[in-house]
Amino acid sequence: MRVLGIETSCDETAIAVVDDGRAVLSNTIASQVHLHERFGGVVPEVASRAHLENFNPLLELSLKEAGVTLGEIEGVAVTIGPGLVGALLVGIAAGKSLALALDLPFIGVNHLEGHIFANVLESGPIEEPYVAFVVSGGHTMLVHVPQALTYEILGQTLDDAAGEAFDKVARFLGLGFPGGPALDELARKGDPNAVRFPRAVTDRRFDFSLSGLKTAVVRHIKAERASGRETPVQDLAASFQEAVVEVQVDKTIAAARETGVRTVALGGGVVANSRLRRLLAERATSEGLRLLVPSPELCTDNGAMIACAGHFRLMRGERTPLDVGASPGLALH
Amino acid sequence: MLVVAIETSTPHSTVALGNEQGIIGSTMLSRGRANHEVVVPAINHLLQWAEVRPSSLGGIAVGLGPGLFTGMRVGIATGKTLAQALGVPIVGLASLDVLAFSARYCRRLICAAIDAKRGELFSALYRPVPGGVARQTPFEAAKPAHLTAELESRPEDILVVGTGALVYRRELEEAGNHVEFASPAWAYPAATSLVELAIPRLLREDYDRLYDLQPHYLRKSDAEIAWDKRRRTG
Ligand SMILES: [Zn+2]
Repeated sequence: MRVLGIETSCDETAIAVVDDGRAVLSNTIASQVHLHERFGGVVPEVASRAHLENFNPLLELSLKEAGVTLGEIEGVAVTIGPGLVGALLVGIAAGKSLALALDLPFIGVNHLEGHIFANVLESGPIEEPYVAFVVSGGHTMLVHVPQALTYEILGQTLDDAAGEAFDKVARFLGLGFPGGPALDELARKGDPNAVRFPRAVTDRRFDFSLSGLKTAVVRHIKAERASGRETPVQDLAASFQEAVVEVQVDKTIAAARETGVRTVALGGGVVANSRLRRLLAERATSEGLRLLVPSPELCTDNGAMIACAGHFRLMRGERTPLDVGASPGLALH
Repeated sequence: MLVVAIETSTPHSTVALGNEQGIIGSTMLSRGRANHEVVVPAINHLLQWAEVRPSSLGGIAVGLGPGLFTGMRVGIATGKTLAQALGVPIVGLASLDVLAFSARYCRRLICAAIDAKRGELFSALYRPVPGGVARQTPFEAAKPAHLTAELESRPEDILVVGTGALVYRRELEEAGNHVEFASPAWAYPAATSLVELAIPRLLREDYDRLYDLQPHYLRKSDAEIAWDKRRRTG
């Protein structure tokens, strides 16, 4: 089954064609980073405008790259949440229109489920049960997947998503937007033990909190600047990153232990972080866990992961009615 | 030629199906809030009731605003993608033009005014002419006081029509008693009018380029406005 996947939940307009939930025939993205750069973050109205401008030419491009015509598409999968409501609505309206015009089955996909399914594109269906750790600009979430397409949230962020915290600290260090990749790059040259930043403690074992750490970093830098001392910026970046990643890795491993799973799947843009990948790989190996990590282009938001998740739902006979709306706070369950 | 028209730039979501002979069917839903999710199902119902297959459509018409940003985008994304998927031409028409067109049988000067939120109105003035209306002023985004002053300065009788007239009636009434207000039933740009306006354009192949078709925003995003302000003062 050839499924067209549409993703417009944040600042990437993405369309892909995926065959049988596995073969990525095309995975095209119109990035808007340059539009949001000067604002230091994603501006919803700017994102929505760009989605509408980008969508139709991108559809043509995606079909061309896939070497298929619209008549050869057999299903339409669209992100319906969570995300920015105005941004989601552009992709949803377009996806419904395609389903109506071409009389195709239509399925609304949860963006977070899409991030987990990015693994399926490269490694095939993930054997349940497993634990997924989704970490991106908008989300930090530990999920237990006891059986196919069933999700139990073990914990999530109580304040900032990891990517958000990376961006904010990067901005404070003068690294520009988006700051995550720049901070990662800089941290490679730094000493992660230069400053011992606090590791967040939360009431519920698998929840995350980063606001305290963020404040601690800002306070530390201000205090140093005031006293004329200055820790090298790469050491600050490495120390901050270490504090974030260490907690994430500890909790992910603990979640796998507690649920007794043998597989951990990662997803989301922050998975591109080299320190997170390395530390988690080390710990997974010593625990005898199988670790699934999508390649970087499938970690960031893309249409292929939506087409893939949509494929498996469509194959189960699921359909979403055409009067579905956008769900900015859509939960995974 | 069968045409589907979509107009969603006000809280009234309206869709119509028609041809050269007239309107075959239309829907309108206004719940006082956005009705984005009903647009595609409404088209689906109209086509089914009329026993028309999507592939029999000859063209698509969309309202381009100015109006509510999210609503405009949903309507335009729907229209553009239908046109692309069906391989049919598309025409876009300004929602203020569509709104004024519905009031074309009055003898007065017509002021079409759509609520722009943020305490503003989108508006333009029209003169009834045989077969339709002729726009006299450019589209404008302004405070009601600005439009009131404009109406006050005009000596002739004026009919104000649109969601903006409903929201800011009290302010606009101060322009004088040469200003009359159209009934709320005429307050939204109707997809039925859009069909009527679009068919002549489709017949003479005066199409819009699909990829170029964009809403009439008339206003930057709040973030861009704040940015510009910071740059001017900073
Ligand atoms: Zn994402």
